Amino acid sequence: MRAKFEYYAPTSLDEACALLREHEGDAKLLAGGTALVMWLRMGLLSPGYVIDLENVPGLDGITYDPAGGLRIGAGVKHRDLELCPEVREHYPLLRETFYKVAQPRIRLMATVGGNLSHGDPMTDPGASFMALDAEVTLRSSRGERTLSVEEFFVDYYETALEPDEILTAIHVPPPAGRVWSHIKFTPRSEEDFATVGVAVTLAGENSRCDDVRIALNSVGPTIFRARAAEDALRGRDLSPARIEEAGAAAADASDPIEDVRGSSDYKRELTAVFVRRALEQAAARLG
Amino acid sequence: MKREMVLTVNGEEHDVEIEPNRLLLEALRDDVGLTGTKEGCSIGVCGACSVIVDGRLVSACLTLAAACEGKKIETIEGLAEDGELHPLQRAFVQYGGFQCGICTPGQIMAAKALLDHNPNPTTDEVKEWMSANLCRCTGYYKILESVMAVVEGKVDEGRRDEAVRQARIQSLYQSDTYKSDTSD
Repeated sequence: MRAKFEYYAPTSLDEACALLREHEGDAKLLAGGTALVMWLRMGLLSPGYVIDLENVPGLDGITYDPAGGLRIGAGVKHRDLELCPEVREHYPLLRETFYKVAQPRIRLMATVGGNLSHGDPMTDPGASFMALDAEVTLRSSRGERTLSVEEFFVDYYETALEPDEILTAIHVPPPAGRVWSHIKFTPRSEEDFATVGVAVTLAGENSRCDDVRIALNSVGPTIFRARAAEDALRGRDLSPARIEEAGAAAADASDPIEDVRGSSDYKRELTAVFVRRALEQAAARLG
Repeated sequence: MKREMVLTVNGEEHDVEIEPNRLLLEALRDDVGLTGTKEGCSIGVCGACSVIVDGRLVSACLTLAAACEGKKIETIEGLAEDGELHPLQRAFVQYGGFQCGICTPGQIMAAKALLDHNPNPTTDEVKEWMSANLCRCTGYYKILESVMAVVEGKVDEGRRDEAVRQARIQSLYQSDTYKSDTSD
């Protein structure tokens, strides 16, 4: 049964924050609607108030500068990020990732901030933002704070957002010459959620790894960094044996649920395989 | 609590009195009375309820009607003008772009949204875009043919010339997307 709610469409961020604070705990934010409206329809959420952010200025826009990096307004649609020329040029990992999310119509509706705020461990963008060391800006009537994307994901569908906070922007540091790779394994159909998702960024030379970030989605209660796998590689030579070891370490860190996409054991095996392949692909791009 | 609002659908204003939890899909079908927009999967996957709101393609099943107040909503009923079918509608008829027809309004609205922004898409761009609309009669090639017929200005050639049709199918099969789809 779909709950009834009051609908607000504030026209400033301050007004949105005030409404959220006034109805704290009983209000949900609406952006693209692809997650929230579906959950409302299914009766998984029954807020008393829905606050639509569409008319709030300042949540749109993608800006890039070489010194500061990329700033993405939380209300930017997936499709607009995917097609943004600066993203294509300087952050090919993001272009690749967003191109693989669902299908074009959903990408036209769904927002970048809405996706992250939903805290769904099955979705792709969070892993790539984590591999790029991105940060999110959270705003409330009490002020503003910044968290890394890694800190932002807390548990299954749970983020660090307080009930009165709104995610307003995502900041990605300058690319700094790191190479990248991305694998989204979707054996059922292309627009499906990933069975395993891997995002890698790598700094180094020849086959030496100076730094690496490996982030995974769909194989744990949150999107997470495979830190033990990174530690196995950092400051070392990217030999086949080390890459294999990193894959195994990532699989150890995973905690996938059994669902229609496969058993936990199967997904853990896949994690080792796809982390290895993602590392091989990234290593092949090293100068 | 119900609220009164005006929904502008295909250029006509409709006064409706609806709950804020009403979906655009429900408002179009049950309040405005335009049943051309269909419900399929109800979760934004299938594309049967595709409509255009302020120039952007959306799933009406995942859109609140209240969020569309003051916006320009386009549905399949608004395409024909003075009894003359829109070129996309004519193409779907001429090229057999549908079988059972339930996905067709969504297919055509999706195609219209693409052509409104990009009147000359490549075959691969059309395939990528139309991948968001499912057809359970598996009429994908005829759908692609229909859309490409509009792009290439060949709507009224239809299926009458079998040689033209075969050549078209061959060229669609040879595009890059098809190759990458089958190479795995």
